[in-house]
Amino acid sequence: MPQDLIRPMTSDQADYLRDESRLIGQAEWIAFPETEQQLREILASCRRSGRPVTIQGARTGIAAAAVPAGGVVLSLTRLNRVRGMKQNADGRYVLCAESGVILSRLRKQIEDRHFAVSDWDEPSRQIFEQFRRDRTQIFTPDPTEATASLGGMVACNASGARSYRYGPVRRHIQGLRVILADGQTLDLQRGREKAAGRTLNLTTEQGGQLRIDLPTYALPQVKSAAGYYAADDMDAVDLFIGSDGTLGVVSQIELVLQPLPDQIWGVTCFFGEEEQAWQFTEQVRAAGETGLLALEYFDRQALALLARYKAGHPAFARLELPQRPFGAAIYCELQGEREDQLLEAVARLGRQMEHAGASPEDSWVARTAFDRDQLLFFRHAAPECVNLEIDRNRQREPSLTKLGTDMSVPNDKLPAVMRLYREDLKASGLPYAIWGHIGDNHVHVNILPRTAGEYETGKTLYRSWARQIVAWDGSVSAEHGIGKLKAEYLALMFGEQSLSEMKRVKNACDPGFLLGRGNLFAPPEGRKTE
Amino acid sequence: MRIVVCVKQVPGTNQVYLDPETRSIVREARHAVLNPYDTFAVAWAARLGSQHGWETLALSMGIPAVEKLLRDSLCRGIDRAVLLTDRLFAGADTWATANTLAMAVRKLGGADLVLCGKMAIDGDTAQTGPELAECLGYAVVTDVTDIKEVSRSQVQVSRHTESGVQTLLVRLPAVLTVAKDSCPTRMPSIADLARGASRPLECWSAANLGADPDRIGQRGSPTRVVCTETPPMKKQSRRLEGTLEQQAASLECIIREIVS
Repeated sequence: MPQDLIRPMTSDQADYLRDESRLIGQAEWIAFPETEQQLREILASCRRSGRPVTIQGARTGIAAAAVPAGGVVLSLTRLNRVRGMKQNADGRYVLCAESGVILSRLRKQIEDRHFAVSDWDEPSRQIFEQFRRDRTQIFTPDPTEATASLGGMVACNASGARSYRYGPVRRHIQGLRVILADGQTLDLQRGREKAAGRTLNLTTEQGGQLRIDLPTYALPQVKSAAGYYAADDMDAVDLFIGSDGTLGVVSQIELVLQPLPDQIWGVTCFFGEEEQAWQFTEQVRAAGETGLLALEYFDRQALALLARYKAGHPAFARLELPQRPFGAAIYCELQGEREDQLLEAVARLGRQMEHAGASPEDSWVARTAFDRDQLLFFRHAAPECVNLEIDRNRQREPSLTKLGTDMSVPNDKLPAVMRLYREDLKASGLPYAIWGHIGDNHVHVNILPRTAGEYETGKTLYRSWARQIVAWDGSVSAEHGIGKLKAEYLALMFGEQSLSEMKRVKNACDPGFLLGRGNLFAPPEGRKTE
Repeated sequence: MRIVVCVKQVPGTNQVYLDPETRSIVREARHAVLNPYDTFAVAWAARLGSQHGWETLALSMGIPAVEKLLRDSLCRGIDRAVLLTDRLFAGADTWATANTLAMAVRKLGGADLVLCGKMAIDGDTAQTGPELAECLGYAVVTDVTDIKEVSRSQVQVSRHTESGVQTLLVRLPAVLTVAKDSCPTRMPSIADLARGASRPLECWSAANLGADPDRIGQRGSPTRVVCTETPPMKKQSRRLEGTLEQQAASLECIIREIVS
């Protein structure tokens, strides 16, 4: 074993045993590779000694995929350089970044047009000069947690509010470098390494041959981050995107950038009744508003929670809230090249509000940086309030965690699923708040249990919803990934036959079942919760 | 009764560029924002205007693109707007600016209350508001944190001082410069956008004001900018080594060096 690369875990490294899911795992060793070569050596060593490896990025995930189940923690935090830039066939800028790069830092670098280019090759530097003079670019995926690492975002095929327009991370990845469990390397490019039907034949840089019989299932036609991607003649990169750190270690990612729209406006529409907000969503979607980037929902409970925290918590004092209580709110984000186009689009949203029985007086339009900051604070305050609420409940009952769902359904099931959540929650008497990506029929139901009994009631509800959503051809995880916490729902969604096909893929890439043990398939041994 | 609120376009806080040739700030429309302190002056004007039924007017001196910011003020409840725009106004310092704004206020027939942000974040002088009061012969209170008990002849205001809160009764007409977060801001609604689009916005030139060219713009400015520079970044780092105790002792020495 390369002793200087893999070291025993020490007591001050307890943070590496957990992620934002707050599940605590266990591990004996930890490694922080700084180069791809070191990464290969570490994996080859683990393969020889049979030690399981859990890959970690920034540990912002909430499905516990980065929580170790024994063995070695492989932290990619020091694999954090942007290595170069190129242009693809469509003329888009493509950044080559290592897995440990943090999204917020990358955004700042793109915005400031400032990269450490001294190590870049000459073609990269030439493209960079053009990039500096060109219009401002963005990497569109926008998960709520901007301190996520790029590798983590690839592992769970992350999304965010703007995925309504731009789709999940998958749509913005052109290439990946993947180190397999035995230390061999795959260099994969979209459009170059492709399956023939459902068979994928790959050659590693070291000359090894890999044959993968892809699963035969059809993926649900909804936003989904559950299970391995599979489709006829698919690109090999798509198999590794969303594989929850179970098939290989992504060392380098090629991200496709987009030009930043000239104007981005945020419009928050308030409704007296939740049903009006659902109807508004369906109308706006049906109208095919082209500049719409995001459609985000806040239910009555979420708005009430914000009002309560604004009144009683100094950190939320500057939160702007409507003058009177409302039943629901929808945040619409619009982009456009000209102000008059956006004014027309906003007027159309006003008419849709009236159709849904609401008034365009009850809305906020954010066109300036100051107002956009206010709206961002409003949107991010909801999850923060929920976390504070859970922390408060945990002081009385330390075993409690938040129960947050991440499920999506087809368009025609939106009102039905919203009614299902609300009626079940009302009947149960559990405190809750619902918000999220209603444009993709993907809202997060946050149950806030106060007692162990309420936690169990919440779990039972969650299971019953998962069954119904699977029956409606939805997905049990739309953006967080399955990780360890949702493994039982993956089985529910795909069934035994499909799970065994996924395990066949896993076996082809990682015969020792060493990577991401406990993710997707089985609960890790010896795991414990706080 | 009339409230005039003066606003200024400034570069976005993190996006200040100096023209390498002229050494002056590049005022690019794309990166321009309303001076953040003025946001609160606009909020106060809209609030007092709607509470007391007073006429509200937004006033700015600047390039034609500033029209967009004034239109935004109209969407936030201000009744009408006037943009003072003319090449002859260019290069004005705070005195020439105050003079020009005062001419506009006089052309309007005067104001009962003039509201400004406490300062602009580009020049950071906090001079234009008080100078405007001087030009108009109005009373002035700077850095106002609250406005209450408004009547047709006087207004009660508060301001924070080092020793506490000072409450002043000010006879109208008066100029007040307001502090950050002194008034809750309100985003315009979809309906406000339509209302704002139909409200009157006029552009006035130096000729409209009947201004003497020697008292406006660069010619009317006693200030001479000799040079504007981006200060060189000074960064000093020292690596602390040794045991924790030794590092703590070194750190203590550094703190003593700085505070002594």
